[in-house]
Amino acid sequence: MTLPIIGTLACLVLAAFTGGLLGGIDRRLTARLQSRQGPPILQPFLDVAKLLGKTPSVTNAWIVPCAILTLASTAVALAILLRGGDLLLILFVLAAGAVFQTAGALCVPSPYSHLGAHRELLLMLVHEPILILVFTGIAMCTGSFSVADVFREQAPLLPRMPLCFLALGYALTIRLRKSPFDFAASPHAHQELVRGLLTEYAGPYLALLEIAHWLETVLLLGVCALLWHTSLLGMAMLALGSFLAEILLDNATARLTWQWMVRRMSPLAVMGLALVNLLWLYVA
Amino acid sequence: MVHLFVFCCIVLPFLAGAVVRILRRNDLRRILVPITVAAMAAAAIGLGVAGPFRLEVRHLAGIPADAVLTLLETALPLCILLIGWRAGSRLVMGLTALQLAGIAHLHRTGPEIAPPAAIAADGLSLLMTIIVCVVGGLITIYAMGYMDVHESRHRPPVSRKPRFFATVLCFLGAMNGLVLFDDLRWVFLFWEATTLCSYLLIAHDDTPEARSNALCALWMNVLGGLAFVSAMLFLRQSLGTLSAEEVLRRVCAMDVRTTATLLPFAFLCLAAFTKSAQVPFESWLCGAMVAPTPVSALLHSATMVKAGTYLLLRMAPAFAGTTMSTIVALFGAFTFVGACLLAVGQQDAKRLLAYSTIANLGLIIACVGINTTASATAATVIIVYHSVSKGLLFACVGSIEQRIGSRDIEDMRGLRAVMPRTATIAAIGILTMLLPPFGMLTGKWLAIEAIARATQAMPPILGFVALGSALTVLFWTRWAGAFIRSPELRERPSPGPQRPTVLFALKALCGLALVFSLLAPVVLERFIVPAVTEAYARYGQVAALPAIPGTGLAWIYGLSAILAAAAWMARKAARNVPDRAHCPPYACGAAVESGKEAGFRGPMDAFVPTRLANCYLRRHFDEAWLTRAMDTISTAFLVVLVGGLL
Repeated sequence: MTLPIIGTLACLVLAAFTGGLLGGIDRRLTARLQSRQGPPILQPFLDVAKLLGKTPSVTNAWIVPCAILTLASTAVALAILLRGGDLLLILFVLAAGAVFQTAGALCVPSPYSHLGAHRELLLMLVHEPILILVFTGIAMCTGSFSVADVFREQAPLLPRMPLCFLALGYALTIRLRKSPFDFAASPHAHQELVRGLLTEYAGPYLALLEIAHWLETVLLLGVCALLWHTSLLGMAMLALGSFLAEILLDNATARLTWQWMVRRMSPLAVMGLALVNLLWLYVA
Repeated sequence: MVHLFVFCCIVLPFLAGAVVRILRRNDLRRILVPITVAAMAAAAIGLGVAGPFRLEVRHLAGIPADAVLTLLETALPLCILLIGWRAGSRLVMGLTALQLAGIAHLHRTGPEIAPPAAIAADGLSLLMTIIVCVVGGLITIYAMGYMDVHESRHRPPVSRKPRFFATVLCFLGAMNGLVLFDDLRWVFLFWEATTLCSYLLIAHDDTPEARSNALCALWMNVLGGLAFVSAMLFLRQSLGTLSAEEVLRRVCAMDVRTTATLLPFAFLCLAAFTKSAQVPFESWLCGAMVAPTPVSALLHSATMVKAGTYLLLRMAPAFAGTTMSTIVALFGAFTFVGACLLAVGQQDAKRLLAYSTIANLGLIIACVGINTTASATAATVIIVYHSVSKGLLFACVGSIEQRIGSRDIEDMRGLRAVMPRTATIAAIGILTMLLPPFGMLTGKWLAIEAIARATQAMPPILGFVALGSALTVLFWTRWAGAFIRSPELRERPSPGPQRPTVLFALKALCGLALVFSLLAPVVLERFIVPAVTEAYARYGQVAALPAIPGTGLAWIYGLSAILAAAAWMARKAARNVPDRAHCPPYACGAAVESGKEAGFRGPMDAFVPTRLANCYLRRHFDEAWLTRAMDTISTAFLVVLVGGLL
């Protein structure tokens, strides 16, 4: 009983470390793409360590439980994935984390965090249905929503759900806060609102959210990796490939606005893409 | 013992209602109403513990049950006819006259084969009885405090409270009768009784708006009643029986289901859609908002709208695997996403709740239409847990409206500073609607699992449900975030005066919403799964599917334990934040604080308070346009539903 728990906790720590490392790679790569030197790879850890060491500074006490519950929910969602649990449950618990984070941003009388929170809600509106559709696609291939059952499948899933993978990439862009969907909590100044959702989270509480974001990155890349579960190399390639593609996309679309994406009905188009894939699986 | 319990559930509320109505004494009512409600709840739980049973009622107080039925069956439509005549509504009169003609025809033809007045309760009806008695009962107790304040504001010339509580008690009794009886004629009698009660309750304030909205509810539900009578006529013609069990057995024994056998079920679906306020008929439920809030709480949670879904759930095995069933599923899923879209644009808390109810009923109907054991389980879970959480939320909005004089979500901004207890309870109610491990989410999860395994039209149904489910997260979170606005580190508001009955009902409902979710595995195991698997196996329609997802429901405990521990830690951490950690909200360096208000330094060094508002996306979620579009599409669905069979 205790061994699996310790194992899961160790995996969570490792996942957080990987997430931070990926963040560092992201910053370095982005800098190089923009002809800058960029920070050291370990910079995200230094940042978080510095944030954790700061004296707390909050507008009202409600921010604190929201930050802690966000981290807890994200960690639980990742733990469920690691333990081979139910995909839908992962989605719901992850959504709970996002709900707490947004509720915390709504609880303070700050116009910036409010604006960010409302934008975050709109983004959730787009990526949640996509994730539900993609997870159902996986379930249609394996016969159940359980992650453990994916690994009992003999053939990789990607050839059967290529359109779902594209849709997953779209959701990944939103969750990783990449351009053009970085308008709720963008770390860069090319949006008119910088760090909107996170404005009022400061010091150690911001550090908690940062760690939650690392875990979420690992979780979503893990879901990408599920689509080529038959070989370790395939999983790594798929996860890293998606991640690098996101970085490239982020740098290539800095001038693309979300209004343009919405006007072109892209969220609905992507949901349609995933649905077409499901239809295909359904007929097959 | 069972006799006594059934008497307490069905007959006692009518008797108590009559006493309350006739004697009109305040002190008597204050004692009688809680006692009746407690007796009903105890009896319902007693029935639930005793398990499924059958009971044949041949005599009621010495009179043959059939004679009583005939008398009531004629008297009730006549009563509605009278109301229609008084209100000068030809529509109501015409529909009721048609109903009367149908009932007369039902009596004229053929001998009755099924035993009269049989009560057959399975896990599903027992669970419904418990919900009606416990949640409905708590709302009745809530209403005692609420109506005192309501009357002190509106000051009618004669107190209308006796009439109100009499109607509420009759409503609960009728609902219990509806779910417990097996004979469709009795079910219809109670069906019409709920229509009449809801009319009386909606019209309670007797303003012109209340009267016209009540009349709208009346004609739509009488239309549903007419569809019910037609269904009974067809069933009598094609199957020769009106016992629900017998009807199901005979239909399911058929190899090929023809138009003649499916048509009555199409009509029953129509009846259920009107009662459950599905899209072309949603206006009556939104109009019902004019009534005092306990009425909305009753209509939306335990009674009325759940009657429609209950009827559908009961009759579903009869049309499992048909195209009609698929159309029902598509219709439900469409209503789900449509009503969620409408809810996004709502600033009025009661309207938001109303659209969310319609949406959840749509999800239930989608599950019923998928028509497998798994989907029926999901539907029942949503019915049960929606009742508790929605009853709680309406009760909260009612109290809030009585205190702050508005039910606008924007006016509830920072409500915790004014009504700390109610705001906290309302926030908990909202969280139980959308977060794991609470019952509503379990239901949604089971629903998506069931939809993923559906054999017909799965992708569009899934698309609708996925979109709708994301929309619910949007509007619930937006509302939950509005209760707190304090720029202080810790506000220590003192609770204002609150009626003890109101506070008791709120606390009890809140506790129920939290604790009942933990009982989900027990509820599923004891009531829902046996009833559902038995229903589908007995009528031999669909191969038994695992009703519970493979991972089991033990996750509820694990997840609850982890999240409770996290919540406890979070609370402790929030308490440990030192006072010096406080800072004003970020305002680009222009932040200034003036007393309790947050703001920034504006032109001429003047203090400009920060004004916040939620974004309701009216331009994209315009109510009038959406309603028109949805009414058109859903009417097309209904035409296909009935017309497709002909």
